[in-house]
Amino acid sequence: MILTGILLLAIALLGAPLFAVIAASALLGFYRSEVDLSVVAIEIFRLTDTPALVAIPLFTFTGYILSESRASQRLVRLTDALLGWLPGGLAIVALAACAFFTALTGASGVTIIALGALLFPALMQAGYTERFSLGLITSSGSLGLLFPPSIALILYGVIAQQMSIGRPVLIDDLFIAGILPGLLMVALLSAWSMWVGRGAVKPSRKFSWCEARAALRDAMWEIPLPFIVLGGIYSGYFAISEAAAVSVLYVLIVEVVIYREIKLARMPQIMRDSMVLVGGVLIILSVSLASTNYLVDAGVPTKLFDFIRGHIDSPLTFLILLNVFLLVLGMILDIFSALIIIVPLILPIAVGYGVHPIHLGIIFLANMQIGYFTPPVGMNLFIASYRFNKSIIELYRATVPFLVILLIAVLIITYWPALSLGLIGSR
Amino acid sequence: MARGQDGGPNRFLRVVNLIEDGILIVLLTVMIGFAVTQILLRNLFDTGIPWADPLLRILVLWVGLAGAVVATRLDNHISINILSRYLPRRIRPYARLIVDVFTAVVCGVVAFHAARLVMGEHEFGATAFGVVPVWIAELIIPLAFGIIALRYVVMGVQHGLELVRTSRRA
Repeated sequence: MILTGILLLAIALLGAPLFAVIAASALLGFYRSEVDLSVVAIEIFRLTDTPALVAIPLFTFTGYILSESRASQRLVRLTDALLGWLPGGLAIVALAACAFFTALTGASGVTIIALGALLFPALMQAGYTERFSLGLITSSGSLGLLFPPSIALILYGVIAQQMSIGRPVLIDDLFIAGILPGLLMVALLSAWSMWVGRGAVKPSRKFSWCEARAALRDAMWEIPLPFIVLGGIYSGYFAISEAAAVSVLYVLIVEVVIYREIKLARMPQIMRDSMVLVGGVLIILSVSLASTNYLVDAGVPTKLFDFIRGHIDSPLTFLILLNVFLLVLGMILDIFSALIIIVPLILPIAVGYGVHPIHLGIIFLANMQIGYFTPPVGMNLFIASYRFNKSIIELYRATVPFLVILLIAVLIITYWPALSLGLIGSR
Repeated sequence: MARGQDGGPNRFLRVVNLIEDGILIVLLTVMIGFAVTQILLRNLFDTGIPWADPLLRILVLWVGLAGAVVATRLDNHISINILSRYLPRRIRPYARLIVDVFTAVVCGVVAFHAARLVMGEHEFGATAFGVVPVWIAELIIPLAFGIIALRYVVMGVQHGLELVRTSRRA
């Protein structure tokens, strides 16, 4: 069994698609327990048991449409008009705009490509150094993962719901729990940017009612979107999947009919590209339903828990190790496969140590967010390197201070559960 | 894209690609259509299509697997490529060939057992929603995994041939 594990790991490291590695582990496991292998297909079909899953293709498609339109430019103009007068304003504009855009589009590198092109030259012009500007854009590419309607939050909720851990994990609650931790990250990064820019950097503009009004009018049709989607979810009026359907309809009308920035002829390409991403994630999710089922049948999470329990007593030590483990994981795996593979294993353990499942989700994503730009393989480092034509080494150096600040944020988020859970309790 | 002589295998492949893309796009369009219709009906007329929700959940599976089929063609599956990035250039083609064969076999086995499941359901005759039987809803599993397996067989043959060619040249 250990030998097969090592072989599978080796073939995964050689670059085999993760879904095939997971499917192989499920097939081998069931084969060894003499279970009919068609059980794997039954498990794959269980993907149809989860209503919330409908939200993933719909929100992803929405995000792709938004990133194809000029919504990013309107967003930057609007945040600049509203926040640009602050000292260090432009950096704050960049952080706020990136976080907002990433929440809507998912951290697929789109933020760096769509917003980076606007913000990078602007930051340099405002007086920030090239290194700071590069670091800010690269690390902001995953900022906003904790804000609704982030696909990663939905996926965590879907996976946690598949497990029976005694407490319900509602996606609505995850959407609320992520807000303060997400704002903490934006606030810490903003404070640091203001500190860096003190003296050297001028506010990008004086506040002008005229420009604010014009920017508002420019983005008039897009501003209601978050209010409709989030208002609908938080008020309990929409289920997550319904909110996703509404946002698709709304964005299609706004970008195709009103702004006319996306030609209908472009639509098949956008649909295909977005669904290739969704397919890559869902096929991993579908086969991992089978492998997880096998692992639970074989009692692996319980054994793992007993083992860890034997060595670690305090929840605090557990959380520290969890942080280290997740940071390393984030360097190797992308956020979606990490969620699918690891959450079923650590959720029961974390709950055993008294960690709230919602809090665990926020800790998980906060760590993974950093993984996007940790050397050696953080995806956003490569995207930024390609986009701005800088060497990877330069980007490693540029992102270090941002890495440190976000690590501090992750520690606060981990050891202060009320930051994530406080708002839920009051509901 | 290799733009070779028209006709023959190239043309056949282009048609297959178009069909794959077309199916994916139609599935997503149907999904959006039903999701939007359902919510409009609920809010404007306080009603709904009773089988739309199970249909939507099955469509997620179909869209997901159809997307995975297209991702296979674009060689765009999520994988860990730390090691392969640092492998010596000479060894890389062999690693790739191993990956192709492994993935083809795994997907082939899944497709085979999924096909057995579908045939079993066909005899059993349960319904998923409305008049649609479960076996039709499940049909995408053997289809998608079968096509993905075939794609990896083709990729394996291509990568194998390249290896033979380069070793002969050396």
